[in-house]
Amino acid sequence: MSDHEAKLSGIAHVAALRKEGRHAEAFQALVRLAQREDNAVLQARYARILSTLDQGVFKAMTPIRVAVLASSTDKFLRDVLGFWLALAGFNAVFFEAAYDTIAQTILAPDSKLYAFDPDIVWIFTTFRDVQIPRQWGRSREETCEDVDEVIRGYSSLWGVLQERCRAYIIQNNADLPPYRTLGNYDSVASWSHSSILRRYNSRLTEALKDGVMIFDLEYISAFFGKEKWFEFTHWYNSKIPFSLDAVGEVAHQAARLIAAIKGQAQKCLVLDLDNTLWGGVIADDGLGGIALGDGPVGEAFVDFQRYILELKERGVILAVCSKNDEEKAREPFLKHPDMRLKLEDISVFKANWGNKADNIKDIAHQLNIGLDAIVFVDDNPAERELVARFLPQVVVPVMPDDPSRYRQTLDHGRYFETIGISAEDGKRTEYYRSNMARDSARQDSCDLAGYLQSLEMEASVGIVDDFHLPRVVQLINKSNQFHLTTTRYGESVVKELAGDQDVICRHFSLKDKFGDNGLIAVVILKRAGDLEYVVDTWCMSCRVLARGMEEYICRTMIDLGLERGIRRIIGVYIPTAKNGLVADLYPRLGFTPIAPVAGGTMRWQLDLDRLPGKYETYIGTSKT
Amino acid sequence: MDMQDVIRQLNVVFGEVFDDDSLVIGPATTAEAIDEWDSLGHITLMLAVEKSFKIRFTTAEIAETKKPGQNVGSFARMIQQKCGDHGA
Repeated sequence: MSDHEAKLSGIAHVAALRKEGRHAEAFQALVRLAQREDNAVLQARYARILSTLDQGVFKAMTPIRVAVLASSTDKFLRDVLGFWLALAGFNAVFFEAAYDTIAQTILAPDSKLYAFDPDIVWIFTTFRDVQIPRQWGRSREETCEDVDEVIRGYSSLWGVLQERCRAYIIQNNADLPPYRTLGNYDSVASWSHSSILRRYNSRLTEALKDGVMIFDLEYISAFFGKEKWFEFTHWYNSKIPFSLDAVGEVAHQAARLIAAIKGQAQKCLVLDLDNTLWGGVIADDGLGGIALGDGPVGEAFVDFQRYILELKERGVILAVCSKNDEEKAREPFLKHPDMRLKLEDISVFKANWGNKADNIKDIAHQLNIGLDAIVFVDDNPAERELVARFLPQVVVPVMPDDPSRYRQTLDHGRYFETIGISAEDGKRTEYYRSNMARDSARQDSCDLAGYLQSLEMEASVGIVDDFHLPRVVQLINKSNQFHLTTTRYGESVVKELAGDQDVICRHFSLKDKFGDNGLIAVVILKRAGDLEYVVDTWCMSCRVLARGMEEYICRTMIDLGLERGIRRIIGVYIPTAKNGLVADLYPRLGFTPIAPVAGGTMRWQLDLDRLPGKYETYIGTSKT
Repeated sequence: MDMQDVIRQLNVVFGEVFDDDSLVIGPATTAEAIDEWDSLGHITLMLAVEKSFKIRFTTAEIAETKKPGQNVGSFARMIQQKCGDHGA
């Protein structure tokens, strides 16, 4: 039986489950069956089956509204994207745009796009949309001006979109075709097709602004293989813009990018040790016997470690989960000259004989992150199976036998997509490591008050200026657990709010004797009439949970309110699958309930004339 | 491969592509008879037939299948001929 036939019979199994009304199981079977590499026929079938499953399957997923505006036929891509978004945890609804009407859809005064209220607008262009004359003798300046003209066109469309809706914009760059009339000279002449498209891609990146992100079609076409990607039979017949067999890859990568935009990319990489970070078994082979550094296999492991180190430097948290004696497991980190990863790169180090599902749960708990933020890498299929079975939220990539392919396998899952890097990202490991030190101090100290006091905490409160803006925006858009109202704002919106007389935006930082936690919380209060402020946004990093910051922030909001002569603060809680953590935050802080609003949203009020408590904390205010 | 074999194999492909294992097709079946057989369904069908019969349609052949008056019979003849080309 060929791979294709095996998948078809897998689909028949899913269809049988559906027929018996076992929709949740059918979906789980689909999740296990589908791979991004699967051909177009299979992808279409996955999408079709998903569309027939009942709503219960989608209940736990995050709803998302997506508009794909394309200069080509996009229905096929839309269907398959819906499937891959479901795999990434989203229940997608799509806008039905007419074929090849990108500008009209965005510009028309009565465009239905805006009534649709999209979360994401994906402008799906290809190399065909960069129509610039390519003739011998055209000057470099003429070509560059033409390129900039095309980009100005898109840039002004982004502007209109951002004025008329709140959507995040994704814009394709150009996929360079594999045929070149000038051969190698195509990359030399400034007026050649290759040169024009390369310049277009680089200028497009420079033109990006807040709220707009590139979808790197040039990368995907090369990744998939240009000779296969550029398949024109279905372009000439049906205006399908790339080989349909690439549709799974395109949809997968787009779904991962959208997950990053919505703050749902993974955050933490949990690593096995033996045969994952080095070849062999440290307890059996000893320091000199493991494959690391010397020899072909040793080189492969060093390169894998280098890749992991780069992930850590851009903000991915690393943890170790290994079946080993702790002391033996630490030995290579301390003594092996070719270890690229050091103990200080690892936020939580678990080496014991317990089962890995329990250990990973512990890691998530210690780091205060959700299980769905974790990617677990282990060479051993039995360990992977155990974790996948008991912790289905954890992402468990199937690792290849050959360590030379580890790096690519991990990379191609696109788990750690990002739409921006802030200075805080590089420091994240430090924050979490000092948290570990705090936790062990907590275990040593018998009373909580004594422990909190011993931390010598100091907070600072600041207004949102240009310097703090990127981190503030990142926190609003990445927070899931401690985020009361699920708001997502781009830089321009936050900047506008910060300048509004009737809005109070504040950020909070916290340091203590173990280190600086950085900027860890943001609140946005909006005036509602003369006497009230509504807490529009309150999000906080979970790494400072339960240390008094909640009370400190509440006290700060009260003071800000009293200064402005208002009488009430209204707190809003919009429940999601992830923010159950803060369901009781407002009652805990002395707010009293107002009648619930439709859709599960809760409203609470705090009467500033009758404050219930003093909001005591062990946090001082630093003067900086 | 005779016509009946081609149509039998086609029937399986149709059932899979249109997600309906009770579907029964014959030489006279046209796109109008099957709800899901729209332009997108047609592309998926072409790709699935290529995979199932291990053949590859040319641009002109795909264009041909989209012309008015085409039915499962004319499609099956095209497939039969292409399979013959490969000596199958």
